Amino acid sequence: MAVFVVPASCRHLCRILLLPALLLLTACATTPIGSTDPDALEGFNRPAYNFTDGADRYLIKPVAETYATHTPRLVRAGITNFFNNLLYLNVMVNSFLQGKIGQGFSDATRIVANTTIGLGGLVDVATPIGLPSHDEDFGQTLAVWGAGQGSYLFLPLLGPNTTRDTPDLAMSTLLNPLIYIKAAIALPLAFLNGVNTRANLLSATALRDENAVDPYIFTREAYLQQRRDLIFDGNAPTEGIDDMFDFDDED
Amino acid sequence: MRNMLKLRLFFLSASIFFLAFPWSVQASADAVATVEEFHLALADVMLEADTLSFQGRYDRLAPVIDETFDIETICRVILSKNWSSLDADQKALFTQLFFRLSTATYAARFNSGTKRRFSTVNVEELREGRVLVKTEFNAPGLDVVRFDYILHQKQGQWYIISATANGVNDLALKRSEYTAIFNSSGFEGLVSTLESKILELGNTIADNG
Repeated sequence: MAVFVVPASCRHLCRILLLPALLLLTACATTPIGSTDPDALEGFNRPAYNFTDGADRYLIKPVAETYATHTPRLVRAGITNFFNNLLYLNVMVNSFLQGKIGQGFSDATRIVANTTIGLGGLVDVATPIGLPSHDEDFGQTLAVWGAGQGSYLFLPLLGPNTTRDTPDLAMSTLLNPLIYIKAAIALPLAFLNGVNTRANLLSATALRDENAVDPYIFTREAYLQQRRDLIFDGNAPTEGIDDMFDFDDED
Repeated sequence: MRNMLKLRLFFLSASIFFLAFPWSVQASADAVATVEEFHLALADVMLEADTLSFQGRYDRLAPVIDETFDIETICRVILSKNWSSLDADQKALFTQLFFRLSTATYAARFNSGTKRRFSTVNVEELREGRVLVKTEFNAPGLDVVRFDYILHQKQGQWYIISATANGVNDLALKRSEYTAIFNSSGFEGLVSTLESKILELGNTIADNG
């Protein structure tokens, strides 16, 4: 659940600067599901979370709410479709890297269909004709290749992550067409994508605010579990969940 | 001689399979019935969302949740090692508080009156006689939401002990949250936090109509 979002253009610089440091952390301990222990990098993560939460509460969220209120639903759907299509190259490449060849070709056809018949991606014509949207990234690819999860890592303004997921920041940047066009066009588009993405997450963050008794831990656990679900394409094994019921009677 | 042994092993395996199979089918059917009873109650309150207030939905769901969830086992898992440090009164207080919070959460979330449908998609047997029931929640114009439940049998009755929505398990999530609060603020701190949350949940829903 990528709760906090900033324009993609700002992310690129952060990603490039942060990447070497993040890669050094990949050998850190793993944070297991339903963990009752603090995460290894909590000393860094909590302040990063609080800073991002403040920026979101007082700046990013109000902008997204204003945008959501004044933008017709159909226009927002078109903008969402456009950016999903624009950034879908990363999904296609990772489908192939995970050995999902059929899915990779389906993703490639999806890009062609939406870019041409779908008016540059504004209309999702691919899903109704049997080319569904998938959710793949390099973090999932590394998991499929056998890399351990590493530590939970909350990046300021970028949101929840793990040390295994951070190389995707570089890959998704390189496969983002916006970085190859003029800044005068790329920056407004990146800003629009950031605001639109945050607006699409308003109900998810409202759900978190309603249910969480410790929003930091809630975000961490929800993110780690959702990543696990994505890695297994919605069929994650029950181990870890089922194991919680193995207690002695005297416990 | 070797063929005879193979034949005996085959008949032995077949006997065990056919003896176990009817129980297995019945167990699965009973576990699914528990989940569907809960889903039916959720579907009912959603259909009547226009006329039912938050309190109305709470009152309607409370007896069904009491009947279909093993709240005590859930609480024991959530508090993990801290459960054994509580006395009987504290355990009863926490169980009652958690029941109220769970019911309030469902009453808050399932508040829309559009046509929505739950369907059971798969049943799997887990270790120690537990059963996993996989279901889907369909609503027009929205993505399908996957709800998976783990159930166990207690005194001949099947109870839900875990719910997972789109891969996010509520039990694991709460276990991490509550353990952190218990460790930093103790049992009293946790009770106070949960009481505030229940109040906040009811007020938020009331404010939003």
